Amino acid sequence: MKKATIIAKNLTLGYSNRKPKKAVLENLSFQLFENELTCLLGPNGVGKSTLIKAILGQLKSWEGELILNGRDVQSFSNSELSKALSVVLSEPVLPGNMTVGQLVALGRIPHTGWTGRLDAHDRDLVENALYLTKIEYLKDERLSEISDGQRQKAMIARALAQDGRVMVLDEPTAHLDLVNRYQIMHLLRDIAKKQRKSILVVTHDLEIALETADRLLLLGTDLPLISGLPEDLVVTGQLDRILPGDEFLFNIEKGKIEQKKTMSKLIFEGNPTVSFWVKKAIEKAGIRELEHPVFISEGDFTLFYLDQEFHRIGELVDFIFDQKSS
Amino acid sequence: MKNSRTTILFFAAILALIFSFLLNISLGSVSIYPDEILEGLLIGDWIKTSHAQIILNYRLPKALVAMLAGIGLSLSGLQMQTFFRNPLAGPFVLGISSGAGLGVALLMLAGSAFGIAALGSGLSAWAIVGAGTIGAGLVMILVSLVAWRVQDSMTLLIVGLMFGSAVSAVVSVLSYFSGADALKLFTVWSMGSLGGLAWPQVLVLSSVVLIGIFPIIFSVKSFNAMLLGERYAKSMGVNPVYLRWMMILSTGLLAGSITSFCGPIAFIGIAVPHLSRIIWKTADHRILFPGTALLGAILLLLCDVIGQLPGSAQTLPINAVTSLVGAPIVIGLVLKRNFSKEF
Repeated sequence: MKKATIIAKNLTLGYSNRKPKKAVLENLSFQLFENELTCLLGPNGVGKSTLIKAILGQLKSWEGELILNGRDVQSFSNSELSKALSVVLSEPVLPGNMTVGQLVALGRIPHTGWTGRLDAHDRDLVENALYLTKIEYLKDERLSEISDGQRQKAMIARALAQDGRVMVLDEPTAHLDLVNRYQIMHLLRDIAKKQRKSILVVTHDLEIALETADRLLLLGTDLPLISGLPEDLVVTGQLDRILPGDEFLFNIEKGKIEQKKTMSKLIFEGNPTVSFWVKKAIEKAGIRELEHPVFISEGDFTLFYLDQEFHRIGELVDFIFDQKSS
Repeated sequence: MKNSRTTILFFAAILALIFSFLLNISLGSVSIYPDEILEGLLIGDWIKTSHAQIILNYRLPKALVAMLAGIGLSLSGLQMQTFFRNPLAGPFVLGISSGAGLGVALLMLAGSAFGIAALGSGLSAWAIVGAGTIGAGLVMILVSLVAWRVQDSMTLLIVGLMFGSAVSAVVSVLSYFSGADALKLFTVWSMGSLGGLAWPQVLVLSSVVLIGIFPIIFSVKSFNAMLLGERYAKSMGVNPVYLRWMMILSTGLLAGSITSFCGPIAFIGIAVPHLSRIIWKTADHRILFPGTALLGAILLLLCDVIGQLPGSAQTLPINAVTSLVGAPIVIGLVLKRNFSKEF
């Protein structure tokens, strides 16, 4: 039996100081489990940050319950909450003069005495957090002198050192390059498994989330929250519901979001992998149909179209484009 | 290795403090050698009785006041810079010192301006400190209300300047309507000076500064957490509202009492925290607070020495010297380094 760390039951959230008084999120029910990485996805403005605020105890729910470790979140004091839950926020962090080691040590603040002195146990946890995030070699570097990806790992290490059962990360991979995005999400997955944490990540990276998450929470505008195994959501076609309008859909075979095609009539002969990319390039140029087939010769990579030879896909696209417009 | 560097620097700073203290009390209209001073202070064996008079009743209290003012102002500056996450924050820049000035002006001038029986020439030291602290605290509350909403350095700075000029305007109005005696009393105060305080007043100042340091000791950890911003601090169990009141109490007491006794002293509050960040190369407040206090004391003692040198018989107003020393430091910081990186 999996242990739930956070349980939301019929949660309704909103800001009471705004007029007119309108709920941002209504009737939300979901669970987060120990040992699991959960990704929360949804378009901008759908209320992801509002939900995070509620989980951090900064926003009182209008209706329903939000239970953390078996207790209502609102019943936690600030210091109790800091021992149960840690965060990585999306806002940038200023102090460039601080070393990575000092930053991670700040995670022990809820557990130390009034001077903030670290004992042996605290230091072990700090070292362990650096080890798990694979940034031990950065320990004495200053925050102003490391890359964005390294800084984000340091922030994760800090949250890890805080040693709560639940970790919440708000868009930890925004502004990062592809490699760092994969690294960080896989890192979080490892941490959830090895450290028995329950990790909630807000992200816009559907593809990476599909690959790494144990559970997805999908928030769409005017739709109830969908929760489930990523693979389940793919197979049942529920992923399409968070994509805006009718323009895009989730391609099950390729595991990617694509623009909906209007019956493209492109014929290729030759290697299917190469023809996939050639087709992509032609479609990107806005061409949906060709009167003649394209032949692909693999040896020295040549494309044949209307008795012409091309050695680059770009040349073919330009040729077709010129032909169409003339 | 890093810890030993920190220790060595602290050791050096303490030596520098002793050196500047001795330098400070030996220089003046009459130069008295440090060995004579030490002999006199420790054994009571003075070469001339006039020297004993000068040292005991004039230079010693003045040097102590310089140290206290340096410590208090720079500690206020450090707290404000971290709390507002703003490298330009400081008691003078944000109008806290002007607030203290207003408190003192009200106490000294309002009586005569409103035609009420003057509070009398025998203004007690405690009354002056009280007025200054309340004035500083009130401006601090206003500024922190504004800073709560805006985090932009420029906006906060402009608001601070506006508070400063509004307060000076009120002081001008008060001066215009007040009587000659009260006005003279206030004008002398506003020129600012580290000297001229008798032992009882020095005692009052030291106890208030000591009380003002207490809230800092109990919130060192919270200041470290605040470096990551208010939301992170909160997620680590720090209560920012509580910390804000502790800071208002501390800076109000420190900047308020010092300004009420010594007049406005510019730049120490903003420049010294940056210097100590550069020297100790850390963001940890457990090192920064004592480091900043030491540097503040050293710098103000040296500024006072510079103020005494020209002509030897006359002294420059301390505010002019600190501005001359402090302004280039701040300009240098702005030009040379990225402030947010140094933070």
